Amino acid sequence: MSSATDRLSTATGRIDQSLQPLADVYNRLFGDYFGEMNGLQFVLIFGTAAALLTAPFWGNFGLVRAMTVAAIWAIFAMSWDIQSGYTGYISFGHSVLSGAAGYTTAMLIHNVNPELSMMITIPVSIFAALVVGLLVALPSLRLTGPYFSLITFVAVLIFYRLIPSFSQYTGGETGIQSVEVFTYAPVARYYYMVVPMLLIAVVLTLIARSNIGLILMSIRENEAAVNAAGINATKFKIFSFALSSIPMGIGGVLLVHFSGGVDPTTFIVVDRSIEMIAIAVLGGMSSILGPLGGAFFLIVLRDYILTDIANLGSSIRWTVFWALVLLVLVFARDGVFRKLWHGLDRIGGDRR
Amino acid sequence: MSLLEVDGLTKKFGGLVAVDDFSFDVEEGEIVGLIGPNGSGKSTVFNCIMGLYDVTDGSITFNGDDITDDATHEVVNKGLSRVSQESNPIQEMPVAGNIKLFTLPNSIRSFYGGASEEEIYEYAARIDIEDKLHEMPSELPHADVRRLEIAKSLATEPELMLLDEPFAGMNQAEIAELADQIEGFREEGMTMIVVDHNMGGLMELVDRIVVLNNGDFLAEGTPEEIAENERVQEAYLAGEGL
Ligand SMILES: Nc1ncnc2c1ncn2[C@@H]1O[C@H](COP(=O)(O)OP(=O)(O)OP(=O)(O)O)[C@@H](O)[C@H]1O
Ligand SMILES: [Mg+2]
Repeated sequence: MSSATDRLSTATGRIDQSLQPLADVYNRLFGDYFGEMNGLQFVLIFGTAAALLTAPFWGNFGLVRAMTVAAIWAIFAMSWDIQSGYTGYISFGHSVLSGAAGYTTAMLIHNVNPELSMMITIPVSIFAALVVGLLVALPSLRLTGPYFSLITFVAVLIFYRLIPSFSQYTGGETGIQSVEVFTYAPVARYYYMVVPMLLIAVVLTLIARSNIGLILMSIRENEAAVNAAGINATKFKIFSFALSSIPMGIGGVLLVHFSGGVDPTTFIVVDRSIEMIAIAVLGGMSSILGPLGGAFFLIVLRDYILTDIANLGSSIRWTVFWALVLLVLVFARDGVFRKLWHGLDRIGGDRR
Repeated sequence: MSLLEVDGLTKKFGGLVAVDDFSFDVEEGEIVGLIGPNGSGKSTVFNCIMGLYDVTDGSITFNGDDITDDATHEVVNKGLSRVSQESNPIQEMPVAGNIKLFTLPNSIRSFYGGASEEEIYEYAARIDIEDKLHEMPSELPHADVRRLEIAKSLATEPELMLLDEPFAGMNQAEIAELADQIEGFREEGMTMIVVDHNMGGLMELVDRIVVLNNGDFLAEGTPEEIAENERVQEAYLAGEGL
């Protein structure tokens, strides 16, 4: 077996070597901020970015539509990751954050003024996600252990029950469907989603690779050591939730202008929170880019490959989705994309 | 004014009085030994000083500052640091990363602060693990894991360092080397409290010994005085001996 990988790495090592000069330019300029990579890893990252940015030119309608949805879920999964994946305080309630943003946009249009400009509704909605995030985080993150997870879970249940109670404002079960979409043109619509997603990916990666990421990860591994280092772990836990709430708000706004409205099933139900976790876990928790990969993998599979190509019904598609997540949990707990990344590290040539 | 003043410290766990009206002072530049049989409350005293436990009664003053109710990170930032009895390095990070964490500022805006590679090397060199910087904690022998704990503590630049059984599990050569290094820290201006079960390792090292027994203050004096103190000998008679 090892001789097979050896032979593989002689071949890939050569490819890696030829790409190393390019990777080195990158490493010199950005390595300190994003981490260094070898030639193969360089191709994976920039090849993926190029593929994402050119998708409408090589993909068909169904694929591009699935990738549009995937971009939004990638934002959710990365946002969940910078908080739950890094600190180990697992949130089961992140859909309240995107839901807060989506509902704020829709309710402003429905209840206040249908003519309200996006210049107003978008920042207000993102701010609403941040406020809700702090409302959840401030009391709960002072606690250690499972209480935090339970509180986030209960937050979703409360939000979900509040919607029908105020149905004249929230639209109840059917929601509010009068929100303007960004555009109906599928190509333009794709870029409306994928460009913010890439920017969020860059910013969150930068943060994750900085001292902030190191502290958040240390909280997960040993919170007492963080305090003993003179660092206020509680402050950083709350900060990570704020850091997560803002891109969650952005994702919520994108989703409401993608679907043209809100309803509890699309935005709030706890299933949505669990899907965010599943995507992040499948891609590889605490890596930011892993969850991004996880979103495109799972959603393109579910909404394009199993739908358009395999023509399967909804229940089967979801069964496959969850079965895959289960397989990863059992056999590749570090996540598919983390495995791929370290695999490239091994089969690449020696660095320097 | 003493550097550290512990006054009437009491700590109860439910019905159990772990530390009972215990007082002692530490002067700047001193190395004080804190000894006592198993379960006498030594670690509890450290945990109270470090803000890990809420104290039941009494006060703790550091540099004239009341730190009784401070959180751990506040106590550390005021210049106190503790080497725990149990080592708990972060297994996912190499030695250098473990030390670096202890140099990071407590600020959510500080993306790239903290010690440089040279500074981390210096902290490690003060305790002789500078050639282990890239190893993972799980690869280190016991004595080096303990040294890493001390390096982390040094990295917070403490004025007063609390060492909880630093010699435990070390062999004679390692104990002698560590005692020399601790002496070296004192020469650099650091004050220290060293906890141990018995006086063996402390005899040469400390200026003064404070003895705890069942959470109570028992005696205080030079190592020679303590070695001859009859009440101390009695307290130890039941246990492992001085
Ligand atoms: N968190 C806690 N909860 C309940 N009881 C505790 C706790 N910590 C310590 N104790 C009790 O307080 C007493 C003093 O314990 P402590 O660990 O301070 O002793 P020690 O002098 O450090 O002992 P050792 O030499 O074994 O380290 C013991 O009876 C112990 O069982
Ligand atoms: Mg102890």
